[in-house]
Amino acid sequence: MGEILKSIFSVGTLNQMLRSATPVALAAIGGSMTEHAGIMNIGMDGMILMGAFFGALGSYLFGSAAAGLAMVLLMGILVGLFFALFVVKLHSDEFIIGCALNTFALGLTTYLSRSIFGSAGTKGNPALPKLHLPLLDKIPIVGEVLNNHSIFVYLTLIFVIIMWLYVYKTPQGFWLRASGEKPETLRTAGISPEKMKWIASILCGIFCALAGAHLSLGQLNGTFAENMVNSRGYIAFACVIFAAANPAKAYLAALMFGFFDAIGLRLQKHVSPELTGMIPYIITIVMMVYVVVRSQKKKRTKAQQKA
Amino acid sequence: MKKRKLIHWDYLLALAISVLLAFAIGAVILAVSGHHPGTAYLAMFQGAFSNARHFGDVLEYAMVLCLCGLACVLGARVGIFNVGGEGQLLLGAIAAAQVGVWLSGVTAWVTIPLAALAAIATGALYALIPGVLKVKVKVNEVITTIMLNTIAASLCQYLAKGPWNSASKTIVAGTEQLSAQHWFGGLIPGSSLSTAIFAAAIMAFLIWYVMQKTSKGFEMKLTGQNPRFARFSGIKTDRLVITCMAISGAICGLVGMFRVYGAEHMYKSSVSNDYYFEGLMVAMIAQYQPVPVMLLSLFFAVLKIGAQGMELSAGVPNQIYLIIQTIIIFCMAAQSGISASLRAKTGKRKASAAEGGKDNG
Repeated sequence: MGEILKSIFSVGTLNQMLRSATPVALAAIGGSMTEHAGIMNIGMDGMILMGAFFGALGSYLFGSAAAGLAMVLLMGILVGLFFALFVVKLHSDEFIIGCALNTFALGLTTYLSRSIFGSAGTKGNPALPKLHLPLLDKIPIVGEVLNNHSIFVYLTLIFVIIMWLYVYKTPQGFWLRASGEKPETLRTAGISPEKMKWIASILCGIFCALAGAHLSLGQLNGTFAENMVNSRGYIAFACVIFAAANPAKAYLAALMFGFFDAIGLRLQKHVSPELTGMIPYIITIVMMVYVVVRSQKKKRTKAQQKA
Repeated sequence: MKKRKLIHWDYLLALAISVLLAFAIGAVILAVSGHHPGTAYLAMFQGAFSNARHFGDVLEYAMVLCLCGLACVLGARVGIFNVGGEGQLLLGAIAAAQVGVWLSGVTAWVTIPLAALAAIATGALYALIPGVLKVKVKVNEVITTIMLNTIAASLCQYLAKGPWNSASKTIVAGTEQLSAQHWFGGLIPGSSLSTAIFAAAIMAFLIWYVMQKTSKGFEMKLTGQNPRFARFSGIKTDRLVITCMAISGAICGLVGMFRVYGAEHMYKSSVSNDYYFEGLMVAMIAQYQPVPVMLLSLFFAVLKIGAQGMELSAGVPNQIYLIIQTIIIFCMAAQSGISASLRAKTGKRKASAAEGGKDNG
């Protein structure tokens, strides 16, 4: 037992936590945008998968991670546009389009991966650099936790701050929130809520694609395997809901997912990996219930105070 | 009230255009990835119809798609989306399989009903979790069911590898093979088609009957379309939603049992490979109507089994099937969106013309 506890509460767990949390956090930043714009986006899983595949493909075709990343950005924008075309322009059912997008991404990436790489997928393509800050080495534990990560682990923190400022401190962010909450009021003010929804979809496409790029080009050093996203898009969606679409809170929620994922990985030495693999998913359900119950309680007390 | 049409020509036309477009886009994808579209589609057709064995597989898969699609329709009718059918199916399959292992020496008259009961109970109970959470706590059922899918898949994998693994260890993750006296009789030698299809046909008929022909079915529709009004008119909507979810889960569990006793004869991961999601897609294309679900299941089963044959004979990955299926959904969505916006435009024009007429007069 002591050994198990020691392996759970270790520097390695925290290090792994950051790594596991990053793709979920990136997708959750994107999901926060569409959530603010009033779009229920369950298609994030497919968006991440597209990013992961086209990142690996770009890196494979052009022999450089930068080219892979460029392809990821392009795909992210395209997928965002595609999603918005249906959900915003054509008023299609968000649930159907999201589900179809996920299945389409699974079909397309598996088909292309098998056509191009064969059934085993691809690995060992040029990957994104890892960052090593000699300065951090001097601080004992913090250095070990924070150093030597793929570059997106650090970029995600910057993205969180930028997008938090964008949503809550800029006029456009205000319009974005209004486009979901009070679209008609926004229209009276002379700003098209549809335009804000298009922007939100494109931003979501980009961030989800980056999350995929982090998986294939960052975390796994240029690997693509079929269905490698493994429901992370849905976990990101859950994080968005915990956080009420606040990017900073969504990042914290993703960190918590990362923490339980890391614990699961640590416990694999002692318990079967199938059982430990369930932990983050169970925690996600428990958290969903907790958040909903708490928000209902808040509403009820507010109503009582008014009465 | 308008009389209900037997055949919706608008829908059929939209579907036909979507299917043609999807095949055209699929041909482009095939050509770009270096396969000849004509050869591939021919191989797909042959894969489904070239011999009786393949056609048996088509019917078996159509049964799976149809029941999964109807399970989804049942939830959608009352306004709850059961995306968790995959987990319910897997758990039902492994529960039924293990009951068969425990009762391997007992007569089929005891074993089969108990196995079916086990599949129904596990499927229904597993669907109750998201159902109750949705109704009582208002937690989004899409997220919970997806999480529960992953959890169920892990649990089944754990059981099949560990405690319930076959004693002979011939398979890494699979239960003991069922004793042959319990297998459902095969209808076409060499194919997965079994007598389970008759049970499935009865189930499909019952679901259709209850949904379209009884007052319960009307209550379900009302609950899905306007829950507040349904509550005011005295329908116990909460109980109805939870019941529908449980039945939906029970159906999925039974599909798992059919797969085990009819086709695989043990629990292993090939019992379902996201089959429920494919059924869900069929339900969406059928716009959650039971009869179209049944007909479209057959169509997509031809595509799926054909695509698998195509992979073997022409070397084209069978996932082109998923691509075509989802493009059909996108095309249908696009058409209904475009026609709605056209209608809105002409409606506006008519309205303004009428107003103009008034001004002149």
